[in-house]
Amino acid sequence: MSRPLTGRLLAVQVAASVGVLVAVVLVCCLVGMQRVDIGRVLDGPGPVGSPNLDFEIVVRIRLPRVLLAGVVGMALSCAGAVFQALLRNPLADPYILGISSGAGLGAAVAVMVPSIAVWPLGGVIGPVAALAFVGALATVGLVSAIGRAAGGGGTTSLLLAGVVVNAFLSAVILFLISVAGGHQLQTTIFWLMGHLNTAALEEGRAIGLAALIVVAGAVVLFRLGPALNVLSFGHSDAQTVGVHVKAVHRTALGVASLVTAVAVSFSGLVGFVGLVVPHAVRLVFGPDHRRLIPLAGLYGAAFLIVADTFARVVVAPAELPVGVVTAMVGGPFFLVLLVRYARGHRWGQG
Amino acid sequence: MIEVHGASFHYPRQEVLRQITFNVPAGRFLAVAGPNGSGKTTLVRLLGGLLKPSAGRIVIDGAAMGSYNTRTLAQKIAVVRQDMIPSFAYTVYETVMMGRTCHFGPLGFETEEDRQLVLAAMRETEVEPLGSRRLTQISGGERQRVYLARALAQDTPVMLLDEPTSFLDLRHRVRLFDLLRRLQSAQGKTIVTITHDLNLAAQYCDEMLLLGGPGRYEHGPVGEVFRAERIEACFGVKVIQGRLGGADVVLPVGPRPS
Repeated sequence: MSRPLTGRLLAVQVAASVGVLVAVVLVCCLVGMQRVDIGRVLDGPGPVGSPNLDFEIVVRIRLPRVLLAGVVGMALSCAGAVFQALLRNPLADPYILGISSGAGLGAAVAVMVPSIAVWPLGGVIGPVAALAFVGALATVGLVSAIGRAAGGGGTTSLLLAGVVVNAFLSAVILFLISVAGGHQLQTTIFWLMGHLNTAALEEGRAIGLAALIVVAGAVVLFRLGPALNVLSFGHSDAQTVGVHVKAVHRTALGVASLVTAVAVSFSGLVGFVGLVVPHAVRLVFGPDHRRLIPLAGLYGAAFLIVADTFARVVVAPAELPVGVVTAMVGGPFFLVLLVRYARGHRWGQG
Repeated sequence: MIEVHGASFHYPRQEVLRQITFNVPAGRFLAVAGPNGSGKTTLVRLLGGLLKPSAGRIVIDGAAMGSYNTRTLAQKIAVVRQDMIPSFAYTVYETVMMGRTCHFGPLGFETEEDRQLVLAAMRETEVEPLGSRRLTQISGGERQRVYLARALAQDTPVMLLDEPTSFLDLRHRVRLFDLLRRLQSAQGKTIVTITHDLNLAAQYCDEMLLLGGPGRYEHGPVGEVFRAERIEACFGVKVIQGRLGGADVVLPVGPRPS
């Protein structure tokens, strides 16, 4: 891994990772409770009146869900890598600045007050997703405003503001849950655990839009890679080598928050992906953000697709929340990586 | 190369520097010394464009500080940071390459010229054999040279250093000052370094700036400033001064009677 990163080396590694991702998509589309025959799937949709069931299952039911899992996994992993860089904290994840509790509160309100109307968004993605999205962005905006007011550009005040706002909003969510009725209670808790919301899938357009935003966001974050590298050494270092720190910080924080908000509005709070995937990629490929961001995005997508496939099949016909699977699969997987690679790499201190 | 005209700086509740005026001609080597809290780091941050003076002007290479943007200033001035280990374990080569960040191509990758400059800087600072090691796997002295290499790779006429020798042993201190003087004479760099090593600074530097709190400073050629009575006044300690083996040295011998 000590070969210096060049454009060509990165292109080869990205291409290989795209290959892995495509293979994962294909395999996971074929896995499920209902057996499907590849040959029959390839026959196409079939004539009107007697649809080809194998094709319908794979292309109209499983593929959208697999793609959604991929988009969410990519968003959380890229955002996680960026939050860790901006806050110079390996424990940071995409939820650390209040996105999770803001989105959770939005979702809880939408579940409890079904009549709530969420302007134009509601028509595209449903009220829960729409209110979660709005709640996520509003909260991260609030947290960064508090952080700025409290301590200039310092990361500590930003982190503290995030922790406190998260705690406060979580208390509000718990209050709402404690007064909710049975059905609302279950819906809210399921949302908080993170599951790929099939109700949101009715609109194929929405997934396309989400994919577009997330991929575009990942490209922007990749372009900030060299600046994020120097930012790991602190704002002063970044500025003295010629990085416009404020602009980079604002753009990176805004884009990472936006893709995270898009992801959580579809999936609820899928934990662990945004923390673990960037670390796993860093352990294997090193910390250079020009490589970390694209590879974390691709492997994050693959990881969440696999996890969601588990969630669909292990207790079929019931389903597990995918957030439970990511933690249960991701934890041991990460520990293996940690033990295997950390010997040679040792974490930095502070 | 560096001109400071009546620069003052104060934090909201604390005055740090008052009306400082000095200049460092191109190719000179200036040592900045003074007790803790006398504003040395603040001064270097002002020179590096990281802080703005509350009053007064700073001119770099003939142009007012305010006429530079982050990028153009980074092509004039490189700053060598105090030792730190970042949260993510970059390799030595990656770290030195970060000095070239604002020269990268449109996709964010280094050019052949960047690679040559980085390798030359690593040779100069003798960290080339460490290229693929991680910052967590090398010693403090080695890391200090890596940060120096990063500043060299930035290829600027001016270099600022904030106490580069504070965590180094005697051998590495001498090697560092030696290297700085070599850079000064071979590459014509203008160097400003904060240091607590008065005796080493007196041997290696051309000029000295003693900071003794707001409104009190001495600046001039080492021969003028490096004097027992001035050092006593600045640090508030009693010192004796003498020549030892051809070098002018001062030794602290106790608190200064007030």
